[in-house]
Amino acid sequence: MEITNAGRRATLSTPNDRELRIERIFDAPRPRVWRAMTEPELVKQWWGRGNPLTVERMEVERGGHWRFVEHADGEDHGFEGRFREVVPPEKLSMTFEWDGAPGHTVVQTITLEDLGDNRTRMVSTSMFFTKDDRDGMMSAGMEGGMNESYQALDRVLAAMG
Amino acid sequence: MVQHSTTLDATFTAVADPVRRGILERLGHAPASITELADAFDMSLTGMKKHVAILEETGLVHTEKVGRVRSCTLGTRRLGREAAWIARYQQMVEERMDALGEFLQRTTGDE
Repeated sequence: MEITNAGRRATLSTPNDRELRIERIFDAPRPRVWRAMTEPELVKQWWGRGNPLTVERMEVERGGHWRFVEHADGEDHGFEGRFREVVPPEKLSMTFEWDGAPGHTVVQTITLEDLGDNRTRMVSTSMFFTKDDRDGMMSAGMEGGMNESYQALDRVLAAMG
Repeated sequence: MVQHSTTLDATFTAVADPVRRGILERLGHAPASITELADAFDMSLTGMKKHVAILEETGLVHTEKVGRVRSCTLGTRRLGREAAWIARYQQMVEERMDALGEFLQRTTGDE
């Protein structure tokens, strides 16, 4: 499927039920995008989506540990993982876990393509593991009497905003 | 008896699209015609019909023709937990990408 969003979102596709692929084009040269993704002082300025962010660890090397804490509405949300592949300035692959569901891991791979004209295409591929893993993540993260209706999904999505 | 395709794949595809999530959200408040939805999302009738058809195939939306108007309501099917989690994760990734894009624009020429 094709989706446009101010011309910056290129495509989003769902090749199967374990993989999520999102593309975006940035009006910035590739080295700048790479630095924004890997330098803690820069990461702090955007990763929290407007929420304050603490970068506790950021070891950008194979096997290195990353850990960020997002502070939203008086609550702390920790995210962490390890880098699996680091190829500046074109590829970053890492595991992603949320403190709310330890042990249930997503592998996210981000590639950056130099399009010339100071533009860069980012492709993010997220691989989910078994449905059991996803169920674990869900049961840990969405307790509290939430039923599985659309209204509940709406509330969750709205609460994330 | 309509046999809905209720595989995770189909639901995943249905909710992975931000427009279709928007349609579900809007129908959560009140039913709407295809024309109203097309206007709300600034989209052609043909484009909106396709989105609604995908949601209808998964049972997430129900449509009924009343006179010349096709009215859309939320379907009775519950959304799978996996699909809800994936939609949540996806929204998070998209929001971070948007924030990165804004940061890059904001800081152009800083170096």
